[in-house]
Amino acid sequence: MSGFLSGLRELTKYRSAVLGLFIIGIFVVVAVYAVVKVPYSEAKRLWRSGEKVWRENPVNALPAWVNLFPGINLPPNIVVDSRKDKNVQKKIISQSATLRKAEIVLPFEFDYDGFPKELTVHFFTRYKRTKPFVLFHWQTPDGRVFDFGNVQISQDQWYGISLDKDLAASLGGVPERGLFVDPHNPDRPLKGEYKLTIEAYLFEPDADIDARLIVYGQVHGIAGTDHLRRDISLGLLWGIPIALIFGVLAALGTMVSTLIIAAIGSWFGGWVDGLIQRLTEIRMVLPTLPILIMIGVFYSSSIWVMLGAVILLSIISGAIKTYRAVFLQEKNAPYIEAARSYGAGSLRIIFRYLVPRVIPWLVPGFVLAIPDMVFLEAALAVLGLGDPVLPTLGKVLDDAFANGALYHGYYYWVVEPSVILIAMGFSFSMVGFALDRIFNPRLREI
Amino acid sequence: MARQETHKRTFFQTSLRLLRYVVIRGLSVGVSVVIGVYLTIYIANMGGYVDKIKESEIREQVAMSVHANPQYKFLPPSKQKELIAQQVELEKKRLGLDKPFLYRSGKYLVQALSLNLGRAQHLTSDSGSRRVWLILAERLPVSVLLFGTANLILFFLGVFLALGLSRKYGSLWDKTVVAMAPTSAAPPWFYGIILILIFAAILKILPFGGLVDAPPPPTRLGYALSVLKHMILPLMAWIMSGFFITVYNWRTFFLIYSSEDYVEMARAKGVAARAIERRYILRPTLPTIITSFALMLISAWMGAIITETVFNWPGLGQLFYAAISAFDSPVIVGETVLYAYLLAITVFFLDIIYALVDPRIKVGAKGGGL
Amino acid sequence: MRTATETLLKVEDLKLYFRTTKGVVQAVDGVSFEVGKARSVVVVGESGCGKSSLAKAILRLLPRNVHTYSGHIYMDGVDLMSLSDEEFRRNVRWVKISYVAQGAMNSLNPVIKVGEQVAEALLIHTDGVTRREALERVQEVFRFVGVPLDFIDRYAFELSGGMRQRVVIAMALITHPPLIILDEPTSALDVLTQANIMNSLKRIKKEMKVAYFLITHDIATSSELAEDAIVMYAGQIVEMGEAGHFYLTPKHPYSEMLMASVPTLREDKELRFIPGQPPSLINPPTGCRFAPRCPKRFSMCDSEPPMVELADGRKVKCHLYG
Repeated sequence: MSGFLSGLRELTKYRSAVLGLFIIGIFVVVAVYAVVKVPYSEAKRLWRSGEKVWRENPVNALPAWVNLFPGINLPPNIVVDSRKDKNVQKKIISQSATLRKAEIVLPFEFDYDGFPKELTVHFFTRYKRTKPFVLFHWQTPDGRVFDFGNVQISQDQWYGISLDKDLAASLGGVPERGLFVDPHNPDRPLKGEYKLTIEAYLFEPDADIDARLIVYGQVHGIAGTDHLRRDISLGLLWGIPIALIFGVLAALGTMVSTLIIAAIGSWFGGWVDGLIQRLTEIRMVLPTLPILIMIGVFYSSSIWVMLGAVILLSIISGAIKTYRAVFLQEKNAPYIEAARSYGAGSLRIIFRYLVPRVIPWLVPGFVLAIPDMVFLEAALAVLGLGDPVLPTLGKVLDDAFANGALYHGYYYWVVEPSVILIAMGFSFSMVGFALDRIFNPRLREI
Repeated sequence: MARQETHKRTFFQTSLRLLRYVVIRGLSVGVSVVIGVYLTIYIANMGGYVDKIKESEIREQVAMSVHANPQYKFLPPSKQKELIAQQVELEKKRLGLDKPFLYRSGKYLVQALSLNLGRAQHLTSDSGSRRVWLILAERLPVSVLLFGTANLILFFLGVFLALGLSRKYGSLWDKTVVAMAPTSAAPPWFYGIILILIFAAILKILPFGGLVDAPPPPTRLGYALSVLKHMILPLMAWIMSGFFITVYNWRTFFLIYSSEDYVEMARAKGVAARAIERRYILRPTLPTIITSFALMLISAWMGAIITETVFNWPGLGQLFYAAISAFDSPVIVGETVLYAYLLAITVFFLDIIYALVDPRIKVGAKGGGL
Repeated sequence: MRTATETLLKVEDLKLYFRTTKGVVQAVDGVSFEVGKARSVVVVGESGCGKSSLAKAILRLLPRNVHTYSGHIYMDGVDLMSLSDEEFRRNVRWVKISYVAQGAMNSLNPVIKVGEQVAEALLIHTDGVTRREALERVQEVFRFVGVPLDFIDRYAFELSGGMRQRVVIAMALITHPPLIILDEPTSALDVLTQANIMNSLKRIKKEMKVAYFLITHDIATSSELAEDAIVMYAGQIVEMGEAGHFYLTPKHPYSEMLMASVPTLREDKELRFIPGQPPSLINPPTGCRFAPRCPKRFSMCDSEPPMVELADGRKVKCHLYG
């Protein structure tokens, strides 16, 4: 044990290992934060929620920090809510006994170099039978006014201004451009204060209407959004603990079970050993990834099933040969003979004496296996066999590919999970290699 | 340990011993294949999929024959349906599909082992056939082209650079290789994505993927060049991922073996450096090197599933992915069986080569190498 | 040592230091001695005193972490240290000096036939020898050393430990070098084989007129092979002289205690052992290195003792004689 600890201390002498440990440390902190801030069930719910939760996000928005670059000034989401914002003016005027006219003015500043992605108004209305009737007046900073609308609005309705075909026809282009475009410079939006006036007619004395204007930006959040408007940072944030847990558990489970089987085989010898040898040969003939894929396709691609399958498949593997060789060598050592002669049971001997002997191969092997497992999960996801409900890094990557991220130029969607995967992979790898240099007895001879 | 034979070993004796070894290994591997394929079928069929495949195949065939048969052509549809259902049941009985699972799986096993892999549900080969075997056979050479090349380059680069590096322990090159070894934590498909991002999406100088330009060049030379152009990025990805760890592992391996006593003795004897490399480091480690070579070939066929998918390279791997997407079970199962076969063949040849090269097996010493 | 016969090898102030993570190990610290033609030398000392390093220093079998390698080694009028690696390889290795390493188990290439390896030694250093001629010489030397001829086509793992050792000795002889360095040639073998090999070595020495540089911690068995003896302690030579003198009347306190710890057949003596541990070769202490364990130490021993030449030609590095 003390050798183990002093080995760990030696680790600090390797700069690459220190860097690796530092990065792993950051990931662990982020993972803990993710799990605490957004609990498991909540994460699942959010990720699967679709429109209800994410509706106010733009589709495929770039990350907000893009604006930090010089020359880039893209609009974020702008939301103006008549229920909350102070600069919204709302008047309700009685026109007659039953008819009331509501006028909501929603102003906002637009000082960006890019056009919004979408324009939508979310209406909150109260009525019993007759739906209110709504007209829109859009005023640009230079005083032009566009009138459109002329629709009935139900209780909780999202009106997509950008989807208004008549408006588009009259503007000669999509509304989110047409309503913003600078008349002198058709490539840029006009900067300044815009006002959307909503003229609503209420037909019941108790009817009421509120509006929430959403000017969808081109940037949103730390990581941008995906095709389902989800904030990618949720996927990345939760992807990290999942990757860590999957990687560590898979590597650990594999290592422990392989070790036990190798120990048992080499200790008991005879037909037990022979059987394990045969099993190893059979395993050599089974193609790992295709079998995992078959399981994923035919049964379930839940991450826990995959984890179990990976471990099961890895139990009988090439590593058994290595461990077995070491055990066989040790088995005949005098101290083992001594232990047997004073009556130590097989199990005790296996666990107290044989197993610690293999630690030099175990420790670096374990650490080096983690990135393989992390990438395996990502690989399965990229093949479309990722966990169907959880946000994982691989899933984010898979979504990116499935939606042609590279063709459409949504590079951030690919780069972000990739960077995290690389950082994870490299950090564990660096630590693993340093551990190998410390613990591997064969390397000491050099 | 010492042999007290006083007669020389004959060539005949050695060959006989080798032959016996080959036969034993062949049988052993054969048994492994049978069990392995059986396991594959078992796993595939645990959810009853292979059964379903069989049943739908039968249904299709019966339906076709019924519709084609002039006797039944003009029956009302409901009658036809009844007839088909009857015939399907008969067929199932005839093929033994209503028997217990053990029997059925045995049948599937025999079929799979004889590579009678059935017909695909959705995918077809380029020639339009739905026979799984043909589809697979078409794809195999394409995969081998790419990954054969990639692995050969990686292997030979790795071994020879490492051999030279092992003489220069502690030099700058050596330190660089050691420091860069962790870059191999990322798998080739991952580097592939990044390379595509840079060279295809942003720089636009290399294609996103595929085998050739579309439409393909008319001349043979043009076609070949186009294929080569499409091979560049996947090759780069494969080599980028494997390069440093390969050189690192071989260099470490050669370092360990160059600190063997007999190497020092060779130095003491005055054997020249080149000769030491060849006879005292390379030759004793040849079995291991060859083993690695074969193992490398094994991994090429499998990990390539994702790499091929990412590059849309029309080989076995990409086929697998297409089969998954189309949920084409016969192809999925068939391909897994093929992989099992390929693995087994590799293992078997590996054993043979090992035997030829390791004198301990040739001579039959106890505990030699096996 | 003696000047009656010609000097074969003259070593002057040979130093070999290694760099380790814990510091610089001064394995061979300024060693000087002479080996006479056809006169064998035995080098004795505890484990870790630098004997094996001395052999490697003479043979230029340097490890990767060499820190210092200096001094002079004169042979046939040439300072071997001044030769380039290539000159050394071609003209010294096996031509002038051959080597039988500790643990012959691993000195032989496992995948090349044993006969070929022995022939290789000849083929490298002799021009114009055909392979057939070389193999004939192998047969001769195998006969001479006592290895059955059909072992020529065997591989190392097929031979017993003793047989392998003989093969390695044969390999060292095939080029007829005037000096053979043997590092613990029999330690790994059982007693019977040891005796056999020792007898063979004696015979070889007599018939081939070769000089041995025999390194061993086993004083008893080496007494019959060598004319001269060198005692090493902590990287330095503390006594050297005719072997007979050394065995019967050791002068240096360490040599005395060494001899006292060896059981003799006809005496019923009480065996003594030397308490304590040899000093670390990293930053060895100033002054006499044996002083901490020496029963005869006195005040002068805090300073480095001189190498004193005694009347009978022996040299002792001790203040008692200075």
